[in-house]
Amino acid sequence: MSTPSAAPPMLEVRDLHVRVGGQTVLTGVSLAVRAGEVHAIMGPNGSGKSTLAYVLAGRPGYEIISGSASFEGRDLLALAPEERARAGLFLGFQYPVEIPGVNNAYLLKTALNAARRERGLTELDAFEFLALVRSKTRLMHIDESFLGRGVNEGFSGGEKKRNEILQMLVLEPKLALLDETDSGLDIDALKVVANGVNSLRSAERCIVLVTHYQRLLDHVVPDFVHVLARGRIVRSGDRTLALELERRGYDWLSEQAAA
Amino acid sequence: MSAPATAVRPSVLDRVLRDYQSVAEGLPGDALAQAARARAAAQLTALGWPSARDEQWRYANLRAFERLGGYRPASGTAEDAAAALKALRQDTALPAPVPGFERLIYVDGIHVDGTQRLQGDAGERTAGWDWPAEQRLGLLCDMFASDSARLRVRGEAAIEILFITSERAAGAAVYPRLQLQLEPGSHLKLIERHLGAAAALVACNVTIELARAAVLTHYRLQQYGRDTLFADTLGARLADQARYTHRSVAVGAGTARTSARVQLAGRGAALAWQAIAVGRGEQVHDTTLKVEHNAPDTSTEELFRGIADERARIAFSGHIHIDTSAPGSQARQSLRGLIEGAGAEIDLRPRLEILTDEVRAAHGATTGRLDEDLLFYMLARGIDRQTARALLKWAFLSDVLREIDLPGLRAEAERLAAGQLQDVQAIGALS
Repeated sequence: MSTPSAAPPMLEVRDLHVRVGGQTVLTGVSLAVRAGEVHAIMGPNGSGKSTLAYVLAGRPGYEIISGSASFEGRDLLALAPEERARAGLFLGFQYPVEIPGVNNAYLLKTALNAARRERGLTELDAFEFLALVRSKTRLMHIDESFLGRGVNEGFSGGEKKRNEILQMLVLEPKLALLDETDSGLDIDALKVVANGVNSLRSAERCIVLVTHYQRLLDHVVPDFVHVLARGRIVRSGDRTLALELERRGYDWLSEQAAA
Repeated sequence: MSAPATAVRPSVLDRVLRDYQSVAEGLPGDALAQAARARAAAQLTALGWPSARDEQWRYANLRAFERLGGYRPASGTAEDAAAALKALRQDTALPAPVPGFERLIYVDGIHVDGTQRLQGDAGERTAGWDWPAEQRLGLLCDMFASDSARLRVRGEAAIEILFITSERAAGAAVYPRLQLQLEPGSHLKLIERHLGAAAALVACNVTIELARAAVLTHYRLQQYGRDTLFADTLGARLADQARYTHRSVAVGAGTARTSARVQLAGRGAALAWQAIAVGRGEQVHDTTLKVEHNAPDTSTEELFRGIADERARIAFSGHIHIDTSAPGSQARQSLRGLIEGAGAEIDLRPRLEILTDEVRAAHGATTGRLDEDLLFYMLARGIDRQTARALLKWAFLSDVLREIDLPGLRAEAERLAAGQLQDVQAIGALS
């Protein structure tokens, strides 16, 4: 569990304002996440949760109006998306894309070796890679044959989400940003995904869960819960806040935010 | 100072006919064959030279024909062609043989190597094929060809034909010709490859007749040099239950025009047409494919993938006609173009013409640039932009490339495609 720490945050977002297609979607988000912590960002649909995740990962099409975001002291917003990933940021997509024709294993190996080069490690050869990835597929209850298929090609919604977590486990990021990884999962798949996420919890890395429902948080217990409404964090607390949201819904907070 | 040139250059058709008159007597073949040549010349005269104003020829880059040196066949004897082949062998310029395939080699349109029994008489069968207006360039080969790869297949066979142009063809024309006849129930795997760097016209005719339940898998790789003008005409006729699978990869020639027509004439006849064209520089690749469903329960599966880089232009016109005589037929058409270069152009024209009920048909045609969402997904995994783009281009071609079920040939096709794409090595990323 977290204890108040003098260590500087791994991820620090300050007063971030972001516009998409002429509309201001983030209206002053501030967030500090330290190594070892798990944060949950909750909020109603359209509150800006996914926007925050995308902006931090560097998706094009978002205009930063003001504010900053840093990762291990580096200006995150100045980095290209691939540089952010290689620096240790991982975005688990809400809607993972299908890339027919690009072999799942090939994508994973290319990504892993890019990360390893960045860390000054040698690249894995095919055998070492396969040994590594096999152990992770078992943990994620993914059939090994999926590795030879196109990225997410013909995967069910749940398989895509498990594949995202598989990628995360192989890449071992310092900051995992999981955008509604729980959506569309049945309870068994949710447990598998939660297991995967928990296996990555450590003192060296931090995890940010973006979610609409608190049920994932039964399995991945967060240290902090933040509520995003109308583009900014309107309340922060511990996991009991998530339970309160479950009971009361989001309206009372949204009203507060509007006030 | 010289006066401005005012002389009117003779029309392309005039030049074709003039060249034909000058060589007609020396062309091989008996009186019947000569009559067929003359008939082709008369037909071309009647139809006239195609015009870019005609929808079927709009993207064919007809200007390239105006710039041609001439239409005379590269003068040469079988001995000349054999000498050219010997030189190619010394340069190890020939592709590696494909295991299990019997190889035939034609240099500048003349048979030089491979089983003699397969060699046929020029002209003998040309009368059987009428080229409609949109295939009228096929008449050039009918007029000028002096040899033919004529195959009559019974049982099972696997044959590779290399059509090679040598430097001796520069400034002239080469007329490869392939006439296939598959007997009932026969199976043929055929690899047809076009290669050579000569600045020449290559006007190639391929005619295919599949008898009842005959099965043809036809792989075509076109890798001519950029100075080649390739005019390619293909006609196929399928009887009951016959199956024709066409898998082609075209990366070569400065200008290439394929005019193809497939007639599904017998009940249950099936066509699968899977083609890739990858162009860069100033290359122009234009294909028209007309499929005619003339019998019940016939089917077409059409897949085209084109990538245009730099200032290349790629066009594909797929016309599927399902006649009143073809109830129970099905047709699927998927045409996709990827524009890579700022000055590149892709024109895809799907057309389904259905005159009967009880038909299942679907078509889709999309042209665009690389999908930004797919690109971002890869970048978000730390893959550098150049590799990500290369992988996506590769993926774009994959549903055709992975259908090439001969490993050696597929590797060759992948190598050719990769050679046309910036940043893409043969990366082995296909699933």
